[in-house]
Amino acid sequence: MQSLVEHTGRINDLLARYGVKFGIYKNHVFHEQLFPFDPLPRVIPKDEFTLLEKGLVQRVNALNAFLRDIYGGKQIIANKIIPEEFIFSSKGFLPQCDGFVPPKGIYSHISGIDLVQAKDKTWYILEDNLRIPSGASYPLIARKLCRLASPETFTKNHVVTNKIYPQMLKETMDNVNTGGLNVILTPGRYNAAFFEHSYLAEMTGSVLAMNNDLFVDNNNLFYKDNNGSAKRVGALYRRISDEFLDPMNFLPESLIGVPNLLTAYRSGNVAIINAPGNGVADDKGIYYFVPTMIKYYLDEEPILKNAPTYLMFDEKQRKQSLARMDELVFKDVSEAGGYGVVFGRELSQDKKTELAELIEEQPRRFVAQEIIDFIDLPILEDGKEVLRKADLRAFVLAGTTTKVWPCGLTRFSRNPTSFIVNSSQGGGFKDTWVLSR
Amino acid sequence: MGIISLEKQDHLFWLGRYCERVYTTIRTFLLGYDRMLDDENSGYKAICQMLDIPDIYKDEEDFIKTYVYSSKDVNSIYSNLRRAYDNAIVLRDEISSISLSYIQMALDDMEEYSNKPFSLLQLQLIIDLLLAFWGSVDVYVLSDNSRDLIKCGRSLERLDLYIRLGYPKERLAREFHMFETRMGRISPLQYNFEAYNTFSTAIRNKAVLKQQLDTLNKIFVRR
Repeated sequence: MQSLVEHTGRINDLLARYGVKFGIYKNHVFHEQLFPFDPLPRVIPKDEFTLLEKGLVQRVNALNAFLRDIYGGKQIIANKIIPEEFIFSSKGFLPQCDGFVPPKGIYSHISGIDLVQAKDKTWYILEDNLRIPSGASYPLIARKLCRLASPETFTKNHVVTNKIYPQMLKETMDNVNTGGLNVILTPGRYNAAFFEHSYLAEMTGSVLAMNNDLFVDNNNLFYKDNNGSAKRVGALYRRISDEFLDPMNFLPESLIGVPNLLTAYRSGNVAIINAPGNGVADDKGIYYFVPTMIKYYLDEEPILKNAPTYLMFDEKQRKQSLARMDELVFKDVSEAGGYGVVFGRELSQDKKTELAELIEEQPRRFVAQEIIDFIDLPILEDGKEVLRKADLRAFVLAGTTTKVWPCGLTRFSRNPTSFIVNSSQGGGFKDTWVLSR
Repeated sequence: MGIISLEKQDHLFWLGRYCERVYTTIRTFLLGYDRMLDDENSGYKAICQMLDIPDIYKDEEDFIKTYVYSSKDVNSIYSNLRRAYDNAIVLRDEISSISLSYIQMALDDMEEYSNKPFSLLQLQLIIDLLLAFWGSVDVYVLSDNSRDLIKCGRSLERLDLYIRLGYPKERLAREFHMFETRMGRISPLQYNFEAYNTFSTAIRNKAVLKQQLDTLNKIFVRR
C-alpha cells in the first residue's frame, strides 16, 4: 500500500493525461476540472460485499418490478400500497411511456445506488439513481493505473478485478438489443460526464453518437454513417435526461434529442438504456416506499436499510419533522448532485421559517431524513492522513440476471465539516476494493 | 470501429490538419526565430509573411509571445493546438485514449508554459508529443479508414504549408502522391472531385501552386 501512496502524484498526473475530468458550469461558463483521486481505497471484505450484493440485487429487482407495474397494471396503487398522488405528481412519471413494456421487461439496466456506512458498520441506502447514473469509469481507469503503480499491492491484497465492467455493460446492452448497433448517445463534449461517455464507448466497442448522427425512419432508429447510408440501432445507451430525449414527445425546445425516438422505442424497435420514465422510481419521495415494494413484489424482507426518512406529504410526519428541524436533513425530491439538500442545523432562524413555509406549501416536494453519522474514511491531504465523509455508489446491472459490479465509486468530501461528497461540490474519489477472501 | 459518421469523418480529417499545422509552424517559427535574433530589421514580419498570417503584432517581442502562447490570437500555435484538441476530444472511441492522451498532454503543457517565464525550449516537448501522437495513431487507431482520414488531413495540411513556405516541387509531388494514395484507400469518401482534379493537374504541370491553394482547400470542405 505504501508504494501506492508514494505514486499518488504520478497517478493523478496520468489521470489528467487521459482526460479524466468532469465539467461544471459556473455563471453559465463551462469549466473542466480534474476529479481528484485519493489512493487509499475503501476496502469491502468478502462477506460484507456478499451481503451488499444480495441487498442491491433485491432492491433493483424490486424497483424494476415497480416500474413494470406503474407503467402497466398499477397494482401497487390499486392495492393502496403507495398513494397514487405520489406516482402521478412525480416529475419522473411519463404518461408517454404508460402501457408499454420495454425489451425483456427491463427498465433500469444500469442502476447507481448510493450507500453510506454508519459507524456501527450498518450500510444504509441513501438514494437510488435509475436514470443516467454516472461514475463507473473513474474507478475503472484509476484501478488500471494503480495496478501499474504498485503491482505488489494487488498481488498481496486479493482484490477482485474491476475490469469486467465494460464486458458487463456490453452484455447488458446486447441482452436487450433488438438487432443493430449498440450506441452511446451523448449530449456532447460540454456535458459534465463526457469523459465517461467517450471512455465507455471505447471500452465497450459501442458507437459514440450525438443526436445529429441519429434519425428515426419508419419507427426505427438509425445511425448515419459517412457514406450517407443508415445502420440500424438496436440498443441506445443514452446519457441524456428524459425531457431532452425527443423533442417531438418531450421538451420541444430540446436541441440534443432525436425526433420521434420515443415512437421507435414504443414500437419495440430499439431498447433505450435506461428506459425513459424511470424518474418515477428514483424520486426521493418514492425512495421511502422501496422497502415496502420489496415486500410487495418479491415477498422478501429488505436486506439493506433505507436511511430513516419522513414524508413531508404526511401531515403527522411533517409536523414532527418541522418540530425538530435541527436534527434532520431536508431534501428536495426532484434535485440531484448534492443540490437541494439542506441541513436544518445549518440554517438561520429566518431561513428555517422560510423552509418550513415552503414545505407546508409544497409537501410532496420534500422529505426529511435522520442525519446518519456515516463512517469517515482516511484520505491523504498534503501527505498526511485525515478523515473525511465518504459514500459509495454501487453499480447494479440488469441483463439476463441482475449483477453488482465488484467495485464502485467512493466519493469523499474534501471539506472537513461537510457531508456532501458530490464531485460537482468539490469532492474527490477513491477506488473501492472488494476482497476475494 | 469501422462505422463512423460524417461528423466524425470531419473531425478525423481536421485533427490531422491541426496537428500538422502545429508541428510544421513550430518548426518554421523556430527557424525564423533563430534568424530573427541576428536581424535588427523586424524579422518577424518575414515570418508572418511566410506563414501567411496577418501582422497584428506591436513588435517583435509581442509577436514571439503572442504567436506562440496566446489564446486570443486565432493564428497562434496555442490556438491551433486547441483546435487539434477540440477535434481529438470527441474521437476517443476512434483514436483510443492513448492517442488522445498525447494531444491532451501537449495542450496541458502549452497552457502551463504560457503562465511561466517565457522560453521557447518547451516547444521541443510539444514537437515530441506530436510525434508520439503520430506513432500512436499507427498502433492504436484500428480502423484503416480512420487512420487514413487523419493522415489525409496531415498530407493536405502539409501541401498547404509547403506551398506557402516554398518547399521544393519534389517534396510537394511526394506529399501529393501520399495524399492520393490515402484518399484512394478510404472507402467511401465524399470529396470535391473537380477541385481534386484541378489541383492534381496543377501539381503535375508544376504550375504556380500558390494560386491553387484555394483549390487544394476545397477538396474537403468542412460542412
